Amino acid sequence: MLVTRNYYRSGRDTALSWLFVLPVIIILLITAFIPLGWGLYLSFFRYKLNMPSVTAFIGLKNYVDIFSDELMIHSLRNNAIFAALSVSIELLVGVTIAMMLTNDNRFSRGLVSILMVPMIIAPVAAGTLWRMMLDRSYGVVNYLLSFLGVHPVLWLGDPKVALYSIVLVDSWLFIPFVAVLVLSSIKAMPMSFFDAARVDGASSWVVFWRIILPITAPVMIIVAMLRFIDAFKVFDTVFVMTQGGPGNATEMLPTYIYRQGIKFLNIGYSSATAILFVIVMSVIALVFQRFRDRQLQRLG
Amino acid sequence: MAKHGASTRRGRDLQISNFLGRPTRIVVVIILLAVVLFPLYWLVSNSFKQDQEYYHNPPIMFPTKITVQNYVDIVMNRGLLSGFRNSLLIAGFTTICTVFFGSLASYALVNGMLPRRIKNIFAWWFLIQKMYPAIVVAVPVFYIIRSLHMMDRVGALVLMNTSFNLPLVILLMVGFYQEAPFEVEEQSMLDGCDLLQRYFYITTPMVKAGLVATGMLTFVASWNEFLYAVILTIVRAKPLTVLIAGFITDKALVWGPMAAMGCVTILPVVVIMWAMQKDFISGISAGALKG
Repeated sequence: MLVTRNYYRSGRDTALSWLFVLPVIIILLITAFIPLGWGLYLSFFRYKLNMPSVTAFIGLKNYVDIFSDELMIHSLRNNAIFAALSVSIELLVGVTIAMMLTNDNRFSRGLVSILMVPMIIAPVAAGTLWRMMLDRSYGVVNYLLSFLGVHPVLWLGDPKVALYSIVLVDSWLFIPFVAVLVLSSIKAMPMSFFDAARVDGASSWVVFWRIILPITAPVMIIVAMLRFIDAFKVFDTVFVMTQGGPGNATEMLPTYIYRQGIKFLNIGYSSATAILFVIVMSVIALVFQRFRDRQLQRLG
Repeated sequence: MAKHGASTRRGRDLQISNFLGRPTRIVVVIILLAVVLFPLYWLVSNSFKQDQEYYHNPPIMFPTKITVQNYVDIVMNRGLLSGFRNSLLIAGFTTICTVFFGSLASYALVNGMLPRRIKNIFAWWFLIQKMYPAIVVAVPVFYIIRSLHMMDRVGALVLMNTSFNLPLVILLMVGFYQEAPFEVEEQSMLDGCDLLQRYFYITTPMVKAGLVATGMLTFVASWNEFLYAVILTIVRAKPLTVLIAGFITDKALVWGPMAAMGCVTILPVVVIMWAMQKDFISGISAGALKG
């Protein structure tokens, strides 16, 4: 209202507003919009960098092929197992840890700051570190397990085990994330809830099931969904720990797209996979957004 | 009142933390500490071990003959210094670009004179951009960077990292600018400040703490970034994350230098994070719950 009275100023501010968002628009254009558009275009071609002569427009054939590509379905299956397992472990352990650190004393605060270390370590560094520890012959994990009478496990070399080793490392990295978020949501609860429960003589299990769980459930669900979506972006740890192997035992969707596009130079097909991935994730994103808004409304 | 406050605090101690008995809790906490800290201890202690000690059976828990040979090796033969410089440049410039461009755009989205539809498009787009993995645009990005003659340059990684951090940063910053008191903004409009002056002198100083928090999240994320670092660098611009991954070959692993490189990569972010832990936690929670 104030601004519109002064036409000169209004025009100047409008121009400035556009100028302010311009850098971001340019960056997004170069790094997101043009690449996505180009990827969409490439996805309609049979286009292999190492075999330029076979290049041809083939319409939707790449997309049709995806559904009969066994390796792709295998990667999807691995990724789904990985996501389901790691998210459930992270949520279960993370919430348990959060429940134990609700005391507001120096000890718990110190523990939280130690817990935060895995959260910020480069996943590449964490993957390498665990690869060192999980080595079959010289790794310390097998050595420590030998005290419990466990025979040496081929953590990363056995196709039946490797996927679970990646779940293990992912959990190590992200349990703290879940714990810290759930903890801050518990601490944000009004103390009067707990006072009332104490007056009524409720046991701590009742407090958990009847008070803490229902109130923090929206946060837990949001965190679980975020982790679930992130599980479909997993790349760094797989890349340094197994590179998708042994065989294809730990191939996930991002490593599969990487391998098709960057390694095999099968540009057209990998673009189709990528575009399909973006479409599916966008639909999930919009559903997630709806859902989260509802959950946050419940939180008030 | 004071008495009431004291009793509620004790109430929290009594009620929330009484899960499992005290002894069980202590055991669980010790296990937890061991699981978090032991791998880090292992990394650090391995970085000081001598060559032949890595193949010792049983593994050496407490190295007695400490050597800095591995650190000398990564400095002399494995490009630690240039890797460190590249990581620092990438993370530093990404942080500056993301915070500066991000805050400009967020300010314009909150207080500027943009059509409502533009704001909705931005919000909608950033949501999608946060959901898809970076790998899906890798091939076209590779071509674009190559045709811009930015291959193997730090600038290319600054550009990509800025792009990937903008969604979260803008979503957070829009929140900060919305919470800043509008009366001050209104008053300075009356006094004849234009948008640029209001941004620089009036409103941005009020949300400085928020900018620092988002800047830190960006720094850590771009310091740790790996995918584009591996695709867009060849020799000169390799950051630390790519150097670490370079140790992974089909041949036997060189444990010592690898561990030393890991330590160098991890240390700076751990120091930053501990120095600014509160901002970090609030930034992460806000990013997860609101963004």
